[in-house]
Amino acid sequence: MADAAAVDHGHGTGTGLSNNKLLMWVFLGSECLLFGGLISTYLIYRSRYADGPAPGDIFDIPFTSVSSFILLMSSLTMVLSLSALQRGDIRNNRVWLLATALLGSLFIGGQVYEFTTFLREGLGYTTSPFSSAFFTLTGFHGIHVSLGIVMLVSLIISSFRGTLTKERSETVEIVGLYWHFVDVVWIFIFTVIYLVPSPTS
Amino acid sequence: MSDTIELAAPGRPLGVYTRPRGNTGWRDWITTVDHKKIGILYGATAMFFFGIGGLEALLIRLQLATPDGTVLGADTYNRVFTMHGVTMVFLVIMPLAAAFANYLLPLQIGARDVAFPRLNALSYWVFLAGGLFLNMSWLLGDSPDGGWFAYAPNTGAVFSPGHGMDYYVLGLQIMGIASLVSAMNLIVTVLNMRAPGMTLFKMPVMTWMILVVQFLLLFAVPVITVALFLLMFDRNYGANFFNPEMGADPLLWQHLFWIFGHPEVYILILPSFGIISEVIPTFSRKPLFGYPFMVFSGIAIGFMGWGVWAHHMFVSGIGPISVAAFSISTMFIAVPTGVKILNWLATMWGGKIKFTVAMLFAFGVVSMFTIGGLSGVTHSVAPADTQQTDTYYIVAHFHYVIFGGSLLGIFAGFYFWWPKVFGHLLSEKLGKWNFWLMIIGFNMTFGPMHILGLQGMSRRIDSYSPGFGFEFWNMFASIGSFIIALGVLMFVINVVTSARRARHEPPVGPDPWDARSLEWFTPNPTPVHNFDELIQVDSLDEFWHRKYAEDENGRVVRVASAEEVCQDGSATDVHLPSPSYWPVVMAAGFPFVGFGLIYTLWVCIPGALLILMAIYGWIFEPTDDPDGPHGHPADGSSDHDGAQAPSEAAGETVEEAPVG
Amino acid sequence: MIPRILRAGRPAVLVGGALLALAGCAADAPLDTLKPQGPISRSIDSLSDPIFIIAGIVFVIIFGASGLIWWKFRDDHSTDEFPTQIHGNFRAEIAWTIGPAVLMAAIGVFTLFGHFELNGEDRHDIVLNVDDVSISWDPEILVVGQQWWWEFRYYFDGLDGVDLSDPRHLPPADIVTANQMVIPTGSEIGLSITSRDVIHSFWIPALNGKRDAVPRRISPWKIEADVPGFYFGQCTEFCGLSHARMQMQAVAVTPVDFQAWVDEQMQPAAEPTDAAAQRGLAVFEGQCTRCHVVNGVNDPGKGADLVANAAPNLTHLMSRTTFAGGIFGLYEPDGSLNRTQLEAWLRNAPAEKPAYAEGRRGMPAMGLSEGQIDDVVAYLQTLGARPDMEVIAATEVHP
Ligand code: HEA
Ligand code: HEA
Ligand code: HEC
Ligand code: CUA
Ligand SMILES: [Cu+2]
Repeated sequence: MADAAAVDHGHGTGTGLSNNKLLMWVFLGSECLLFGGLISTYLIYRSRYADGPAPGDIFDIPFTSVSSFILLMSSLTMVLSLSALQRGDIRNNRVWLLATALLGSLFIGGQVYEFTTFLREGLGYTTSPFSSAFFTLTGFHGIHVSLGIVMLVSLIISSFRGTLTKERSETVEIVGLYWHFVDVVWIFIFTVIYLVPSPTS
Repeated sequence: MSDTIELAAPGRPLGVYTRPRGNTGWRDWITTVDHKKIGILYGATAMFFFGIGGLEALLIRLQLATPDGTVLGADTYNRVFTMHGVTMVFLVIMPLAAAFANYLLPLQIGARDVAFPRLNALSYWVFLAGGLFLNMSWLLGDSPDGGWFAYAPNTGAVFSPGHGMDYYVLGLQIMGIASLVSAMNLIVTVLNMRAPGMTLFKMPVMTWMILVVQFLLLFAVPVITVALFLLMFDRNYGANFFNPEMGADPLLWQHLFWIFGHPEVYILILPSFGIISEVIPTFSRKPLFGYPFMVFSGIAIGFMGWGVWAHHMFVSGIGPISVAAFSISTMFIAVPTGVKILNWLATMWGGKIKFTVAMLFAFGVVSMFTIGGLSGVTHSVAPADTQQTDTYYIVAHFHYVIFGGSLLGIFAGFYFWWPKVFGHLLSEKLGKWNFWLMIIGFNMTFGPMHILGLQGMSRRIDSYSPGFGFEFWNMFASIGSFIIALGVLMFVINVVTSARRARHEPPVGPDPWDARSLEWFTPNPTPVHNFDELIQVDSLDEFWHRKYAEDENGRVVRVASAEEVCQDGSATDVHLPSPSYWPVVMAAGFPFVGFGLIYTLWVCIPGALLILMAIYGWIFEPTDDPDGPHGHPADGSSDHDGAQAPSEAAGETVEEAPVG
Repeated sequence: MIPRILRAGRPAVLVGGALLALAGCAADAPLDTLKPQGPISRSIDSLSDPIFIIAGIVFVIIFGASGLIWWKFRDDHSTDEFPTQIHGNFRAEIAWTIGPAVLMAAIGVFTLFGHFELNGEDRHDIVLNVDDVSISWDPEILVVGQQWWWEFRYYFDGLDGVDLSDPRHLPPADIVTANQMVIPTGSEIGLSITSRDVIHSFWIPALNGKRDAVPRRISPWKIEADVPGFYFGQCTEFCGLSHARMQMQAVAVTPVDFQAWVDEQMQPAAEPTDAAAQRGLAVFEGQCTRCHVVNGVNDPGKGADLVANAAPNLTHLMSRTTFAGGIFGLYEPDGSLNRTQLEAWLRNAPAEKPAYAEGRRGMPAMGLSEGQIDDVVAYLQTLGARPDMEVIAATEVHP
């Protein structure tokens, strides 16, 4: 397996990217359409709140801005963790991976809090087309973040087992691609749901 | 199987489980990661489902042969035509295309395997799991009855309270995973693993078309995934996506479905376009006319296919402006498609055509698809379509393009590559019976449907009364469908008898058709390791150019015999990826999850456990069975080790992809 | 009122088209899309005919070329030499890219003109005289689909200001009828199409193309017939179990006859006089009014015990010639009541026309005794004016 590293780094492949990294890019291309579909659905239904609360009545924009900021920061720590590993700095790599996972969890925590508040205020999953679309879109995003956290934790475990070395930094890079993608998608979602003025009842 | 899974001794870095060994017997078929075996599995499974879908078609035709038919009740009829459409589209044509893509794509680009052999196996097994799951609904007495495009709200919980539509939703969802994984895999394969010297514009048109199809799948599948999720949430958890009572708009489903659905029809046709782009030049003994235009028109079709979906919704009330826009955009799809048709004709023009069975089928595609395409153009004229839509005129259109285009093309592929795959030819004599019965039966069945449709016969009606003028042509069409069945039977007989005959005949030579592209460098049937050594590609149709050159008068002369050019398959020390249990284990989990979501959530647990176990095993599976026999490539080339299962550490992300 | 309509005689065109077609002695393809019978469908036809011709020409070219190739370029084994190797020709490629593109652009222009003309809105009011009061009617009929029959609601003052947001609770209309839509010839009739449950599609090929009936959407559409007659239609969007049996007819009559028909339809049901019919009314009030409305017997606003919240209004049942989604003739060809079919319907409707009665979709088996059935039939016969049977034979089914 002497040549594995060569392949990992994409030498001799048609695109110059390793297979694994290209796979992630391709996968993210597909994810764009998944979120595209969900975001369109939300846009169509944002003003159809039936007898339930309207989006404008219920959103807590300052709160969500903070949690969005947290998620954005996690992209920064993700970059830091990768560059640490590329320098061979295993310790800092772990620290930043952990930080990323924690920031991600904080975001998820915020989402759970937001969902429960909405539920209490009468916005259930089945309340209206708006509520269904809202929970589905943000829920799908939340699941993506959670999966990212699982990946990060696996990386951390792998690091403690001593297998996440400088040579394997591409793995971190690939997880990073995923993580950044999920962040960028959130920027879109945040803009579409919270920043664009929402209808009120 | 578990008896062969043993915990490895502690201390082995990441390899927790050993990998299965050997490549013989049924166990090998279950654990194989060889793209060729997976291709064969795809093909065989799809043909099995073709039998089922065809049987359903024959039931439809029996019911409609006479007015007030009583063969099936209204309820059963609705289930039968729904399952017929779903089966033929998702379990027959798509996997048959996948069979060709899997088997041929790595060979045509001169690679040892696809980029991710285990993911490839996973695609197949997940597809099989989804197909069986969907058809299980027959046995459990509750198959889908909402039509293949499943318009809400008729398919929602209120109007379709049984479990039929749940099978549809979950079955398609499972198969979507398969398509997506395989699309990603093949894209990476084509982009990254071409033989040295093979630039994109030296790839065969077949490879190009498959690549375009994978991109269409990559972007189209997530859209139907969204649609199916929304429908599932509506049905199972009371969401309101398609519930007009709460102010939802049922047209949302139609948009989502057709944004997927129209690219889907090009997913169905382009592989077949690719196949005949190989077959026609070979038997015309001329190069493909206008190669770059063939490639670009294929890409153009792929792009334009995204901008026309609402031509399925001309009468749904989307507003005159939208209708006008989609009507015009649809018309222009005729342009790149026309370029293809005319280029095939130009390829044949001036050739010396050998009408082998493969060539007959390819010829059939060019002519029959044109009929279907032309009726497509008549639909694209929106006002005219208000008369045509949802009548048998549409049924005629899409059977001409799908049967006359996709399926005939796939049969051309069967005859053409059979020796490549199985080492013997199919009988040309039986093949001619196969072809003529099919083409005659096909035209008898679907030709009259143009007339029926224009006479006003609606689609999806389980019976019609006498007095509407439908009797004669329906009976005629039903007779035709049995002639098609005879044709298919000829194919089955041909497969069986040719295999028998081949047992006591010498194997077919290396190059039975005087072919053109890379796959023919390998002996027939293809050895496990594909190529003995990598091929340096200098031109399009490299194989042909090694056999022939032009003399000073511009005449083609043979410079080498096929035997000289072909490899003999004798290399023994090629490093191959080891088989794996985990793809099939993971796939087995999905139907459980499906049943769990339908009947009782508890059943999800074993499914989820299987999937998690498989992910875990997959990640920690050693790249190779440490005890298994393997060597290293003699030529020391490193590129094609990329064909192996992803290396341990990288497993992390790669494995996450198909699940997330 | 009954005598008046019979005096006019001609409303008898209401009758029998269905019967004749079913008996197989009428025009042979009443749903034919190529025999337009009104200006709207004619302009569709005049747009599609040239397209068929162009498609035909392309077909001939491609098949001609294929045929030539088939005969001329077959390998005759005369020599072993390769044919001239041609890799392509740029000009040819450009030609057969531009050629079809120009052709499609031309078709596109005609399509656009035709399309916008067909979707334009220019209608004239119809002035009707009902009970000596003139009504100016900007023709507007609300077409409501539900599993598996059609309702036609006539609003003589147009639909402006009428709240249609909830198709299951529609405001009262001037006339409510089912499965047979009576229209005057020579006027463009505006339709507004919607649905009470799933998506259906309204289609009377001789008068216009299709338009889907989508719940919570009001889709504008229109039809116009040149001459009196029966025009057959069929629901063409798959809508579940009995989709095949969801048919309808447009019945075009002269404006004078239409006036007579309107007069008649505006009357509430009369009190039954004979004993059987009175017993029938009692049964009806006990069992049927839970879904059906008979004006003057029960309140139209109450709704029905069904998912769609509506069953056919039976006030003028006898003035129609078909029932149950237009699939059964209400009269025999000789003009007598099709008693067998009607009784079978009352005995066990789902056996006659598949339905999910237990799911409150479609008419259930009512469990009536034979005596009750006779009484109910007697009562139903008092509902509405029976058309003149003599003219049946002269009735035309179009196209
Ligand atoms: C293999 C699948 C396939 C393919 C390739 C196509 C190709 C095309 N289809 Fe088809 N279509 C279906 C499968 C396919 N279709 C299916 C399954 C449905 C029904 C779905 C359902 O409702 O269940 C459908 C329905 C469908 C509709 C909706 C009808 C309705 O329900 O009302 C329309 C409307 O515009 C349409 C149009 C077209 C057009 C314009 C093309 C074009 O791509 C065709 C282009 C080809 C040619 C035109 C012939 C060759 C060209 C030349 C020789 C050049 C010269 C020609 C001219 C200048 C005209 N199709
Ligand atoms: C994708 C490809 C495809 C293919 C190949 C076919 C093939 C056939 N189809 Fe298909 N059809 C569809 C796709 C396809 N169809 C779709 C998408 C619909 C729309 C569904 C909907 O409205 O929702 C449809 C609808 C449809 C209808 C309209 C139903 C309706 O609207 O009410 C009809 C009616 O005649 C029909 C007939 C046929 C026939 C006779 C064949 C024949 O060509 C079939 C020939 C095959 C055989 C005859 C098999 C022979 C084999 C054996 C006999 C051996 C048996 C062996 C085993 C069991 C192992 N089809
Ligand atoms: C639970 C609801 C329900 C009840 C109760 C009911 N019906 Fe119906 N009826 C329907 C529906 C729905 C239809 C339309 C069926 C179709 O065409 O598919 C219908 C159709 C009819 C028709 C045909 C109308 C037409 O113009 O097509 C007649 C006649 C009829 N019913 C008579 C009766 C009589 C008489 C009774 C009582 C003995 C009765 N119905 C009770 C629901 C009901
Ligand atoms: Cu109503 Cu089909
Ligand atoms: Cu389409």
